[in-house]
Amino acid sequence: MPPLSSKKRDRIESAINVPKRTSNEPIFLSLRHPKTDNVSLYLLSNEASEVFEVKAFNERYHSWFIGQSVQHDGRLLFLTRMDPVFLLLPYFSKFGKEGKFQPVEQVVVDEAFPGCIQLLKCSQTLQCLSHVTEKKEVGSQLFYRYNKDKTLTWLKKKVDNTVKALKNSNICVGDAVKSSTFIRSKRTTDIREEDYLRYAHGLVSEYISEDLSKDLLKYLQLPELSNATELEPPSKKRKLSDNPVEAGEDYTKFNNDDHKKKPTKKMTPAQKALAKVDKTGMKTLSAFFSPKSKI
Amino acid sequence: MDLTKFEEDNSKSCRLASAIPEVCKTTDCCLGIDEAGRGPVLGPMVYGICFCPISMKKDLENLKVADSKTLSEDEREKLFAKLSEANSYIGWAIQILSPNSISTSMLQRAKYNLNAISHDTAIGLVQYALDCGVQLKEVFVDTVGPAEKYQEKLSKIFPGVDVTVKAKADALFPVVSAASICAKVARDRVVKSWKFIEDLDVDVEYGSGYPNDPKTKEWLAKYMDPVFGYPQFVRFSWSTAQSILDSKAVPVHWDDDEENGEKAAAKQNCQSVLSYFARKKSGDTKREPHRYFTERKLETVSSL
Repeated sequence: MPPLSSKKRDRIESAINVPKRTSNEPIFLSLRHPKTDNVSLYLLSNEASEVFEVKAFNERYHSWFIGQSVQHDGRLLFLTRMDPVFLLLPYFSKFGKEGKFQPVEQVVVDEAFPGCIQLLKCSQTLQCLSHVTEKKEVGSQLFYRYNKDKTLTWLKKKVDNTVKALKNSNICVGDAVKSSTFIRSKRTTDIREEDYLRYAHGLVSEYISEDLSKDLLKYLQLPELSNATELEPPSKKRKLSDNPVEAGEDYTKFNNDDHKKKPTKKMTPAQKALAKVDKTGMKTLSAFFSPKSKI
Repeated sequence: MDLTKFEEDNSKSCRLASAIPEVCKTTDCCLGIDEAGRGPVLGPMVYGICFCPISMKKDLENLKVADSKTLSEDEREKLFAKLSEANSYIGWAIQILSPNSISTSMLQRAKYNLNAISHDTAIGLVQYALDCGVQLKEVFVDTVGPAEKYQEKLSKIFPGVDVTVKAKADALFPVVSAASICAKVARDRVVKSWKFIEDLDVDVEYGSGYPNDPKTKEWLAKYMDPVFGYPQFVRFSWSTAQSILDSKAVPVHWDDDEENGEKAAAKQNCQSVLSYFARKKSGDTKREPHRYFTERKLETVSSL
């Protein structure tokens, strides 16, 4: 997307400020982010046919020269199509705990983000809800109930599609950071299927709640990454046991008899002399290297 | 002196030279190097060399060339005309370092300071003379920085040439005086008829271009653009220009700025080394954005 000219910017601002417009114009909506719960911006396209999320490229030390003016932040905004079900899922899963069938109008209610009702205008939305809910028809009215199994199946498909997209666009998913412009003589085969799956799971998790993300991880049969802290050695010193410390592979063990019978070492004359010296009030040598106690 | 080659594109550095006298290719020659316009905040710095056969030093002295600083502009022009007339045995070459090239050299990521620029330009001109077939035996240079070190450096680069580096060489050796006249004349002409490539309506009352000249100061204060600063005529790397920009222009941050750049930011965000060894606090489960987004510097937008 080219940088916004001032004219376009005005139009966007007016689009935000004046929510009530003829329904077939695109409008910006402030909605609850399904992952973070924070406010974020979305665009409902004209005729309310599609939903777009707004992402910004934002790196330090960038500015734009636009026509004859300077824009101090070098942000580049992207409007990318997204599945509106992600935005509605939090509402359904919240009511899902009650286990009741309800009409959408009662589920998609948010005092903080009243704009969320607009999503229901999107024709695509209601059709796609069947991926995450069960539907009942009573008379002419439709009732929905959140279904976790369906949701996980649906999310797994999303992950699979993401894996495909990752492979097609040659995105580096391995642990090691590699430059995409660096051409290797050997084709790297060390990227495992699991890396792709985990990466895709991470991407899809950007659009769902933490609990759901964990459930999805289990559903994908991906082991949770072992917590780094558990791999770390215990921070406290190991308590000394009464038994002598032995190396794991100690070959002197085989000469044990000999070893045990050894009498205490003979001291050199100098050591003997030193042993007789009155050492009261003298510091041990190691005391000079230990941290000084604060006064 | 035909300056059109430089004036076609005054954002770059440019070399101009006289024809090489035949006699210089066959007999041992001496060469003088001097510069003009080292100090000014405006306009180019010009390096000049002048050379003639050692046997004809007397003829050069008879032209009464003297240190360009002691001469009026008119006198310098007359002397340069004389030097040009004596083209049967005197040759010269100049390197015009545009203010833009000085700014960009001194302000680039890997800093290239003025002394290094001066040395390299001088070396380049001597090499040019050698490449043209001038039989160089003696080189006289007015010093930049400590004379001894500079002399050692030049002697190493040009073995077989007797290099003399001395402060005030332009007053001591006629061949250096001649070089200084070439450089000064070129600089005066360039500054006088500077063509601003920027589409600007600026007056030419910029005085001498030296930072302490009140006219220059006034001009700098008058023609500062808050966004772009100055036309390429100004050496941005001069503290005179920089301090005005710092106080009056829109602040611009570069990622290699010492104070408010990436380094300082890194310092602020930098964790103590010890923290890497400490136990991670468990329970801090705020989910970070996926690395796909952080690697690409993509963020969610909450408002426009």
